Amino acid sequence: MAHIPDGILSAPVLIGGAIIAAGGVGLGLKRLDDRAIPRAGILAAAFFAGSLIAVPVGPSSVHLLLSGLMGILLGFGTFPAMAVALLLQALLFGFGGLTTLGVNIVNIALPGVVLGLLFGPTIRSPPSASLRTGLAAAVGALSVLGTGGLVALSLALSSPDYAPVASVLLATYIPLAIGEAFITSVVVAFLARVSPDALRPVLS
Amino acid sequence: MIRALILALALATGLAGPAFAHKLKVFAAVEGDAVAGYAFFIGGGRAMGTSWTAKDGAGKVIATGNTDGEGRFRLVPPEPVTSDITVTVDTHEGHIASATVAADRFGTAAQDAETPPTTAPARSSTSPAAPQAAPAASATADVVADAKVQALVEAAVQRQVEPLLERIEQMDDRLRFTDILSGIFLIIGLVGIGLWARARRN
Repeated sequence: MAHIPDGILSAPVLIGGAIIAAGGVGLGLKRLDDRAIPRAGILAAAFFAGSLIAVPVGPSSVHLLLSGLMGILLGFGTFPAMAVALLLQALLFGFGGLTTLGVNIVNIALPGVVLGLLFGPTIRSPPSASLRTGLAAAVGALSVLGTGGLVALSLALSSPDYAPVASVLLATYIPLAIGEAFITSVVVAFLARVSPDALRPVLS
Repeated sequence: MIRALILALALATGLAGPAFAHKLKVFAAVEGDAVAGYAFFIGGGRAMGTSWTAKDGAGKVIATGNTDGEGRFRLVPPEPVTSDITVTVDTHEGHIASATVAADRFGTAAQDAETPPTTAPARSSTSPAAPQAAPAASATADVVADAKVQALVEAAVQRQVEPLLERIEQMDDRLRFTDILSGIFLIIGLVGIGLWARARRN
C-alpha cells in the first residue's frame, strides 16, 4: 500500500520524490532541537514497529501510518523520523524498496506535515477540548487519505498499467482512515490531559 | 511521551508471537502441465479477487484472470514452454508482486512425457525389419514402463516438495523479532548521536 517496492515507478517520479524527500529531511533536521530529538525518535520507533502490524481489509491489508500524529507533534521533524523508520523497514524486512525510499517518505510524511502545520496551532490551544479531539481525528483521517492519493498519483504517473482503481483504494483506505482518526485523537487527547507540554513547543 | 514509549514497546512485544507484516508475495509452482500458485501477504491473509497476468520471457501476455477466494490462480501455458513464465499479481492499490517459474522446470516434465511415446513407435516400426522381434518388443515395453514410473515419481516428488517450497518462501520473508528490536535500538542510538552532536556544538 504505502510502501511501494522497487522496479515499479519510473525514473522521473523516483528522482522527483528523492529531491522533495531530501529537502524535507534537511529542513526537518535543522529544526530539531534538544526537546524534539527524543520525541522524533520515539515516534519513529512507534511508526517502525506499529506499521509492521497489518490487518487484512478487502483484497489487501493495511497498517497504521501515524503520520497525522507525527505531523502534529513534530512538524517538519516528521521527515527525518519517517526517513529513518522507512529505511530500517526497507533494509530489515524489504518493505518498500531502497530506490523508492524518497517517494515513500514523501507519500507518507508530506500529508501529515501539511495537516499538522494547518491544524497544529488550533490543536495546541483550542477553544474547547472536544474541538481538539475532533481536529486531531480529522488530521489522522485526512493524512491517510492524502497518502492514498499520493501513492495512487505516483503509480499513475509511472505507468498507466499500475494505476490503482479508485474503488479498491477507497475500500482499503477508508477503514484505515477511521482507525487512524481514532488513534490520533486518543493520543492527542491523552497528551493534552496528562502533559500539555508535549504538544506545546512548536517545532514547525 | 512515556506513554508513547510504552505503546511502542507494547507493539514490539506483541510481535513476538505470530508476526504480522505487510508485503505481497506470489508463490507459483508447476503442477502437471499447468502453473498454479497463490498470492499472499507475509504474515497472514491471501490476496483475494485480485487480477493476475502471466507473461512469457518476451513479455507477451499468455493469460490473465482473477484470484479466487483463497488468492489462488492457475493457468495452462501453451505448449511447448520455451521461456520462463512470470505471474504478476496487482491488487490495484499499490501492491504488486510477481513470481517466475523457470522454463526448465517445465521442460523436463514435458519432454519426459513426450519423448518415450515418440521413440517407442519408432522402434516398433523398425522391429519388423529386424530379425529378433521379441527382444525389441520387450525393450519397447521397458521404455514405456520406465516413462510411466518416471512420470509417477515426478508427480510424487512435486507433491512432497511443494509444501516445503511454500514454507521456504514464507520463512524467507518472516518478520524476525530480533530485527524489530535492533531497528528500535538503532533509532534510540541515532537519538543519542543527535543529542550528543547538538550538545557538542553548543
